[in-house]
Amino acid sequence: MNAARRTAELSNLGFSLLLALPVLLFLVLVVAYPLGHALWMSFHEIVFFGGYRATFVGFENFADVLTDRKFGKSLWITVRFTLESVVLAMLAGLLIALVLNRPWRLGGLVRTVVILPWCISLYGTGIMFSYLAKGQTGIGTAIAYAFGVEEAVNFVNRRWVIEVLAIGNAWNMAPLVAFFLLANLKTIPRRLYDLAAIDRMSRFGTFLNVTLPPLRFTLFVFTCITTVLSMKLFDFIFVLSGGGPGTASATLTYRIYKESFKDLDLGAGAAMSFMLLALILGTTLLLYVFWGRRAARTA
Amino acid sequence: MNLQTSAAAGAAALALLSAAALAQSPLEARSGEPVYFRGWQYKTDVVQDNVDRYNREQGGKVDYATVTGDYPALMEQNLMAGAELDVLYANPSQAGRYFDGGWIMPAEELPGIDAIKEDMYPNILDAWTYKGRLLGLSYFVSTRGVMHVNLKKYAELGYGDADFPKDWDALYDQLYELRDKGVAQPFLPHWINEWYGISWAFDFEVMNRGGRIAHPDTHAPLLTTDPEGPAYKTLEDWKRIWNDGLVPEEVLTYNESSYIDAYASGRYVFSPQQLYDLETFNRPDRSQIAGHASLLPYQGQSWGLLDSAVYLMTSRARSEAHTDDVKRFASWYGYRDHEGEVYVGSRWMQESMLFSGYRSVMESEAAAERMKSALARPEDIPAVLEVYANTPYPKGIWSVVWAEEFNSWLKETLQEFVQDDGDVVETIEAINEKIADLNRKYGL
Repeated sequence: MNAARRTAELSNLGFSLLLALPVLLFLVLVVAYPLGHALWMSFHEIVFFGGYRATFVGFENFADVLTDRKFGKSLWITVRFTLESVVLAMLAGLLIALVLNRPWRLGGLVRTVVILPWCISLYGTGIMFSYLAKGQTGIGTAIAYAFGVEEAVNFVNRRWVIEVLAIGNAWNMAPLVAFFLLANLKTIPRRLYDLAAIDRMSRFGTFLNVTLPPLRFTLFVFTCITTVLSMKLFDFIFVLSGGGPGTASATLTYRIYKESFKDLDLGAGAAMSFMLLALILGTTLLLYVFWGRRAARTA
Repeated sequence: MNLQTSAAAGAAALALLSAAALAQSPLEARSGEPVYFRGWQYKTDVVQDNVDRYNREQGGKVDYATVTGDYPALMEQNLMAGAELDVLYANPSQAGRYFDGGWIMPAEELPGIDAIKEDMYPNILDAWTYKGRLLGLSYFVSTRGVMHVNLKKYAELGYGDADFPKDWDALYDQLYELRDKGVAQPFLPHWINEWYGISWAFDFEVMNRGGRIAHPDTHAPLLTTDPEGPAYKTLEDWKRIWNDGLVPEEVLTYNESSYIDAYASGRYVFSPQQLYDLETFNRPDRSQIAGHASLLPYQGQSWGLLDSAVYLMTSRARSEAHTDDVKRFASWYGYRDHEGEVYVGSRWMQESMLFSGYRSVMESEAAAERMKSALARPEDIPAVLEVYANTPYPKGIWSVVWAEEFNSWLKETLQEFVQDDGDVVETIEAINEKIADLNRKYGL
């Protein structure tokens, strides 16, 4: 074997890296650069007026954000909104999947109708739920009028605005969850249900022991996905409530928007963005540690 | 053809070319480059029609589109990024900030600017002048917060013109009388969830009561915690009517169109609205109170504040010929067209009763006729003009680089103040502190 022949050969790892190079370059361009720049901004005070300048301030932006009362409030709003959204989306998704798994005469049409909410943009969903929940145009007022109560029933108030947002968000996400769960349901062998019937299992028992176990991993994956989507949601909230009334629905994304684009404090906005990123990563990591690993083993 | 004939033909051709050049309108587009024109969503069909006329008759390549969402913030990002943007709408409070950012070209750069200024009302010229330069041309001028009154409901409750409240104190007192007569929520305040909602409501009420939030030149905070002071009385009255349930809670969630719809429903007796919306409320196809929508006249106290918008030109990198086209279009659109008419300004007056900053529009026969047809009663015409003439402009908080930051903070603070039953003195002190902070931030 001569030397020239040896150098011409690539190891498996080298060959894999070579194939992945275009993707890696693309990722560097579209992910790493903006992320790196945001990190750089989070350590600087950036001023646009009187000439652009960026001054290094160390961890000052992070300290300012952490001591800001509004940040703490937005953090709590985000957690509450995410929790409600995820629970509603997963429950609704599971329910839809179970219903669609039954034989239907016009099954294709039903599935098409069910997926429609997911096809609607979050902006459109925001406008629709805004009309539905507000007193002047809302469903609450319509029902109240039907019962002879001549009073507007407004749900976009401090008490209920998070629930309205969570319902709208879940309405938008649930069909996607449902379709993946449905695909999973279709893989459960029919004979398992026959065996459950022989064992005289109740319907709930059959659901718990036959239907649910194969769905666990998909449920875990979609809990993670809906958690991430809910935590980083902005446009729907902006359109429906504008972070209000007051700051009642000012989630972290809304606070980041306000800090960065209204107050033009890009350093603080970037610092807040990294805190949101930490929250998202932390939550999904916890989900994996306490649920995902076990679900993966039993899948 | 001999030399003499050729020379004569050449001279004739030259003369023809010169004549053609002379015949070319000075506002005709020449660079062949597109001019990007962006605005907020208001009667976009009318705007598109105006733009089409310019493109058709003046060979323009104007690309018009609307911006949805948080207009000031979005435009600021566009300007900062040097995006394809040449002409845009702005309120004066945004224009000053854009100018300080170096993102806009003042209207001073337009040919014939002296004639334009000459045609503007002095108070309007002053409002749109920042650091000694006129920033833009007139889109509209109005009074936002003029106190509309639903004459039908007012008369049903046994009231007439003689009972019209003369100031805010009298208005709040009358709201309680109306409630005692069976109208649970007689008032629709300007506390809407738009960026100009509750914050502007505070700005104009303080000014109407004779106060100033910040000094017009130094921008130093001026509010006092004196219980008889304008800010204290404003906030105290707001707490009172909110806690007593005289206003609908959902007003805090309204956008502009919901706000207009709510008042047009006829449920309320009073509401501080846009002056030009008298036309909307008197249109039978749009309002339940058509023919009964009037306003409280000026009786020694102003109502509302001077709300206006201008057409701005950006200073992004362009060729000189392209920039000249931007100026031509801005001039055509924001002042006189190629036929010498204030075409767009006059059209807005006819379409929506939008007032103009130009005397030539406002003092025309057509404008007088339009107002007559839009108002419920003949006596409302002098009332409109008098309220308009006495409208204050918050120069201290608008003609300053931090105007939008303060406005956004104030909106959030006041919404929380109302809902949390906030402390009046603490809120006033927080407003002063915020202004002082912003002055420090920008070295003012």
